[in-house]
Amino acid sequence: MSGAVRGEPPDWALPAWDATDGRPAAAPRPRDGASAPPSAQSPSAPPPSTASPPAGTFGLRILQVSDVTRAVREAVRGDERLGEVWVEGEVGRVTVSSAGHAYFTLKDERSQLACVFFRDDRLASPFEPRPGFRVVAQGRIDVFEQQGVYQLYVAAVQPAGFGDLALRFEALKAKLAAEGLFDAARKRPLPDRPAVIGVATSPTGAVWHDIQQVLRRRWPLARVLFVPCQVQGDSAPSSIVGALGRLRRFVEERAAAGRADDAPAVVILARGGGSLEDLWPFNDERVVRAVVGMPVPVVCGVGHETDVTLADFAADVRAPTPSAAAELVTPDRAELGLALAALARRQSRLVEAALGATGREVAAERRALDRLRPDAQLAQARERAGLLLDRATRAMSRGLDEARRATDGSRGRLPDLVAAALAGARTRLDRGSDRLPGLALARLASASAALDASAAALAALGPEATLARGYAIVRRRADGGIVRETADAPPGTRLALRLARGDLAATTDAADAPHAAHQLDPPATERREPREPREPHEESR
Amino acid sequence: MTPDPAPSATLRALPPERIAELPFDEALTELQRTVAALEAGGVTLEASIALYERGVALHERCATLLAQAELRVQRLMERAGGALDAVEQATGEDDS
Repeated sequence: MSGAVRGEPPDWALPAWDATDGRPAAAPRPRDGASAPPSAQSPSAPPPSTASPPAGTFGLRILQVSDVTRAVREAVRGDERLGEVWVEGEVGRVTVSSAGHAYFTLKDERSQLACVFFRDDRLASPFEPRPGFRVVAQGRIDVFEQQGVYQLYVAAVQPAGFGDLALRFEALKAKLAAEGLFDAARKRPLPDRPAVIGVATSPTGAVWHDIQQVLRRRWPLARVLFVPCQVQGDSAPSSIVGALGRLRRFVEERAAAGRADDAPAVVILARGGGSLEDLWPFNDERVVRAVVGMPVPVVCGVGHETDVTLADFAADVRAPTPSAAAELVTPDRAELGLALAALARRQSRLVEAALGATGREVAAERRALDRLRPDAQLAQARERAGLLLDRATRAMSRGLDEARRATDGSRGRLPDLVAAALAGARTRLDRGSDRLPGLALARLASASAALDASAAALAALGPEATLARGYAIVRRRADGGIVRETADAPPGTRLALRLARGDLAATTDAADAPHAAHQLDPPATERREPREPREPHEESR
Repeated sequence: MTPDPAPSATLRALPPERIAELPFDEALTELQRTVAALEAGGVTLEASIALYERGVALHERCATLLAQAELRVQRLMERAGGALDAVEQATGEDDS
């Protein structure tokens, strides 16, 4: 199908390829198709006519375009030699579609071959075909029917001659790995916030510029110590080794001088992307050993993400790109600012909490002090005493009024009321006294004494005091009538004697000579006496 | 500088004007220690207020450094005698 050169568009039309929605797209022939056979669609087909007769009219079998294409495709697919091929050639123009597929041509002195390298395979490949490279592409030949072209569907691409390089790479890698130079145990952690950062890279080109940009943005607190070196060509390995050596010496000299903080705490070794050959200096054994011999951690950022060199293996950290290396060695200023703010908030909260707790304690103590302040105590005590006196007075006067009013009033009630009021007051006083300071207590005690005196005066008006002085109340047991004169109790009368404390039973023998028994006139209330043999007075104090 | 849980002995003795000269890393480490000491508690209120004030000064130092820092770029030069020197290079200057 080599003659399938149709009227070529002047340039490649990517959108047309993409319009096939990621389906295998044909790479049209470049312009230099002059040597191609004449543009016959098919040698056996009749020349294109303006009015083709219906199929079979002249005994000829007229084919549809798709029939031809399908026949070619089947022929190609049926050919074992085209099923899996390795094709060496020089890469012509390379175009990458927006879908990520790469379209390129492979050519030699006489022919060209359209190639498609699909996105997933391309991204997985450590090697990217670039114009002018000699490569070996592995894949299968197939026909893209829509455009009627055959092409190489590439599964993998390697640089031509890679076999040799790859062998050397693997051999050196195995040797250095056997020495333990790539051991994970050798890897040192990067400093969190390096004050000085060493950078070894080319002084020309974007890499050094990009690194500075990243450092300036992320960690401008750092000082950068730049050591230029050649990163391409035959002299690159010794130049890189020299740069790393100067950095190592500087670190060691400063450390010996006790100024370790003046020397880099971490070193970036970087190079931009390039061909495998371009990156080859970073596979040099001397470079690998220089990286390993660095007294501070080394971050290696060589080429693109897919490029892996032995220097990467030897480095403490491998960065996918030079800019990524700069990011890896630095903290982010913005993040650090946030962390700082968080620290500040934390300490503020801690101090506020401490102040708050102490403040609450102080306030509590203050309240306790206020409660215990003598004047407040006195005021309270006065108030309480005043209340008690009020109540006692009220109770007393009420009792007295009652007592005076009643002709045969209840004998025990008044003292009871007074006593009950006093008892309550005492209880409250007792309760309060726990909290009362001495001074207030003393005042309260005097108030209490005054109360006692009042109570005593009150009690004197009742029968108790009289009884207490040795008098007794004598009644007839039979009817409870009070015995006031001998006639009230003829001999043989059974009597009940009420004493200040307790009762006695007695029986009269005979009347003595009458004498004045009325030292004290018992209140009229004594007269009407409840029937119970036990006096209610017994219960009261 | 390895952070240790207790505030360094110099922390309390550090006069404020010294704090304003601390490099970022030291200031940050001291700040972290200060906060840790506050968190550990067990200090008197006066001591914790002193710690707090120190922490504020340290935080200010760190924040100032973060906000005002400008990347210094030096080139490592080897003199004729083999002595190594870090030579200032104006920031933004691209070697090309």
